Amino acid sequence: MEEKRASVVVIAEQGEDGIQPVSLQLVGKARQLADKLGSKVAAVVLGQKLTKAAEELVGAGADLVFQGDSDLLVPYQAELYTEIIVKLMVEHCPDILLIGSTFMGRELAPLVAARLETGLTAHCIDLVMNSEGILEQKIPAYGGMITIVCPKKRPQMATVANGVFPNPVLDSARSGEIVPIHVPKELPLRVQTLETVKERSEGISLESASVIVAGGAGAGDHDGWHHIAELAEVLNAGLGATRPAVDAGWTELETMIGQSGKMVSPEVYIGVGLSGELQHMVGIIGAKVMIAINNDARAPVFEQVDYGVVEDCRILVPALVQALRNTLG
Amino acid sequence: MLNIVVCVKAVPEQSIANKLKIDPVTKSLPRLDIPLVMNSLDSHALEAALQFKRKSGAHITILCMGPPPAGNIVRECLALGADKGILLTDPAFAGADAFATAYTLAKAIEKNGPVDVVFCGMASSDGATEWVGPEIATFLNMPVVTMVREIVEDRGDEWTVKADYQYGYRKVRLKLPAVITVTRNLNQPKSLSFSGILKARSKEITKWDREKLDIPAERVGLKGSPTHVTEMAHLESRREVEILEGSLQEKIKRLVQILSDAGVV
Amino acid sequence: MIDFTFTEEQELFRKAAREFADTKIAPHVPTMEKTNRGWDEVVKELAGAEMFAVTIPEEYGGLGMGYVARLIALEEIARVSVATAMMYQVFGLGIEPFIRFGTEEQKRKYLPKFASGERLATVAVTEPSGGSDPKGCRTTYKKVNGTYVLNGRKCFITNAHTADAQVVLAVDEDNPDALTTFVVEKGMNGFKPTHEEHKVGMRGCNTGEIEMKNVSVAAENVIGGEGKGLKVAMAAIGDVGRGGMVGCALGLQRACLDASVKFSNERILYGKPISNLQAIQFKIAKMKIDLEAGRLLGYRAAAMQDKGERSSNEFAVAKYYATEAAQKAAKMAVDIHGGYGCMEEFPVTRYLRDSFVLGPSAGTSDVMMVIISRWALS
Repeated sequence: MEEKRASVVVIAEQGEDGIQPVSLQLVGKARQLADKLGSKVAAVVLGQKLTKAAEELVGAGADLVFQGDSDLLVPYQAELYTEIIVKLMVEHCPDILLIGSTFMGRELAPLVAARLETGLTAHCIDLVMNSEGILEQKIPAYGGMITIVCPKKRPQMATVANGVFPNPVLDSARSGEIVPIHVPKELPLRVQTLETVKERSEGISLESASVIVAGGAGAGDHDGWHHIAELAEVLNAGLGATRPAVDAGWTELETMIGQSGKMVSPEVYIGVGLSGELQHMVGIIGAKVMIAINNDARAPVFEQVDYGVVEDCRILVPALVQALRNTLG
Repeated sequence: MLNIVVCVKAVPEQSIANKLKIDPVTKSLPRLDIPLVMNSLDSHALEAALQFKRKSGAHITILCMGPPPAGNIVRECLALGADKGILLTDPAFAGADAFATAYTLAKAIEKNGPVDVVFCGMASSDGATEWVGPEIATFLNMPVVTMVREIVEDRGDEWTVKADYQYGYRKVRLKLPAVITVTRNLNQPKSLSFSGILKARSKEITKWDREKLDIPAERVGLKGSPTHVTEMAHLESRREVEILEGSLQEKIKRLVQILSDAGVV
Repeated sequence: MIDFTFTEEQELFRKAAREFADTKIAPHVPTMEKTNRGWDEVVKELAGAEMFAVTIPEEYGGLGMGYVARLIALEEIARVSVATAMMYQVFGLGIEPFIRFGTEEQKRKYLPKFASGERLATVAVTEPSGGSDPKGCRTTYKKVNGTYVLNGRKCFITNAHTADAQVVLAVDEDNPDALTTFVVEKGMNGFKPTHEEHKVGMRGCNTGEIEMKNVSVAAENVIGGEGKGLKVAMAAIGDVGRGGMVGCALGLQRACLDASVKFSNERILYGKPISNLQAIQFKIAKMKIDLEAGRLLGYRAAAMQDKGERSSNEFAVAKYYATEAAQKAAKMAVDIHGGYGCMEEFPVTRYLRDSFVLGPSAGTSDVMMVIISRWALS
């Protein structure tokens, strides 16, 4: 058992077409962490028709793939998944357990963590192995980056959003062991997912947009938001938002960029009517040109961009849209 | 009649929260001096309970873990229509991470008596882990559904709900007793009314500390938290900002230029 | 005395009032400003939020919350719309004679409907011959076979057109020393609101004239007893009327201060926000001082009123101080805004116009000074 044991485990999630990108990103990161520990990486995937999934996981760096293949596992069932994973973790005793912050991950992670009576950190934007072999989990907060550790309990658990870590290059030459895991058939379920329903196609995926316009509380109201949406449209850009804009009901949670939302890496980012809170700004990685429009000269956003415009966005944006329309003909 | 518990959190007011800094000694967020307001998602949790109460009758208990000023939030919930309130307050609870918080809340729910539904906001505006609801469920050995946007069927002890999920939603059947965490889209909370505030005069708010809950010290607060903050680092900005000058029209002209240079236009 | 903090419950009243003002009243302000109308809508909102029940005792369908609560509600509403606050305060003023001097029958007949907002009240004292001199009133009554016949005109009456029941002060045709207050109701023959005023400020607040031509009023519509009219009118105006103006003024001051703080933090001159300049800081400090002082004066008087103590002198001081301060605050706010202070999209222009109307309402500042000097010299 000792040789087989992987210190770093990733709960991978199957998507419509193979493994979800975030799971592969985490396996790539897990590989890095395991290498530092001189240990192995294991992935756990539950679902059906998992051959391709297992291949991708191994290609991304997993040495072991624990595979639970059963129709009982599609769609996601909280209690069944929790039961299987907890049992596996108790047997396997990894040091680190990582889960992607998907809808499933955000429910499953705390269920597993509470059962294992261990610590869990949400929305990490970096994971660093320190010299004592403890995982430093970094999250942005309150004007800086705070480091969280789980010194005693094991495994150290963390959730990470899609896009935080890079997509690993899949190495088809890598080999790994596929271990089938037992799926209990008679587990009484008190909560059951009956079906999953798709409501929208992805549209301009924020994660792949090269230009992003993000709006915040400064939009003021639906009309103000509408102008910001127009700006995105005229620039053929993705439309993102901060939490206040989502809370105000002007846009959906899916458009939220930031620590608890989407991580994006556009070429050009335009922040409109947002203050530049860290929780949002950390969602923007490696933009070449960053522009901010805000009517408060003291807004922190002006310290984090290349170009700043101190104006009421409700006055400037419509005028800018007009000027752009004129330029574009 | 259903027994409902609504977990609410007192969080720092948003505009002040932006200026909050971490306490270097306890390495947790100092909440005492900052005006506290009810976590906005929790008002949707409360409204879910109230809607059920208006429709079919229910007894609603508010549960809140926080410093003494959080009692105002509990009173506000009573004014909105809840029946009784419990404030968990004790210096020993300070510094609790999601795990310790959920454990303490779960113990209080147990002590309070039989419960059919626990409503929580899906996340708090500070912290924002989303962990507390599911962890309470685990400690109480109850099922949970997170991110509920609609309650489709709520007669009897088998409810059907819709929860936000990737690309849309999932339909979930749930056997009570259960924990439900809610999204903003579930409902529109009603405003405070004067008569509601007056009615709250006769409603009880109980205060429980660690001893009352009979929880050992090492299971609450910072001591009971598997995770803690070790350090805070200031993030250096690597950009030198140019603030555009001139009239509105001049700034617009310059912006168009910048966008053109960046290849956007 | 001495505990200067609000209770938890009072803080909740304030929260409820603030939310109400922001969500239910604020949207109507632009229409009220533009059209000088829209009072029906805001009256409906006030009724829906139980605002009319605040000072009416529980046994008559009210909430019996008292006058501190009333002042809190007024302050929060005025912060968003002084016009609405003014109408609300005068409705309260109209209700007061019933609460204080009404017979059991009158209370049962009128108060429950006032509480629900189904019927609205106001007080009509002022005439072209003067409001500052109520004894000089020329509206007359003549007792004829057990009923009273009223003749006359009242002007500058808030809620003239919206009120269902007006407490009208009239002088005995045959005895200039005898004044009586009567409840004159919509639909009474010979009674009608006439001219609508177009005020420079508090637009959307219904102000107008009423006319009485041989209006026959039954004996049961006498409030407070024959010959007691001045006492009734002055008692109501003396604290509820003045108290209401304090609420309007404090709310306006708060609005001026908030607007000034916001603007001065955003306006950049010489590379920094103008809130860095001492000249601006001092204006803001003056506004703050006046607001703090006015609040203490107002709430002190209201607390006395809640205890059942005579508070009309204390309210005279508070009314004088707060309404004068509000006018200064509005001017300072406009000054801080510079050129923008003249532009109608900026609310400070409205604040300035609203501030003018605070002075002469419920007694001019000069009249307040007379009352206060009398108090001091006694």
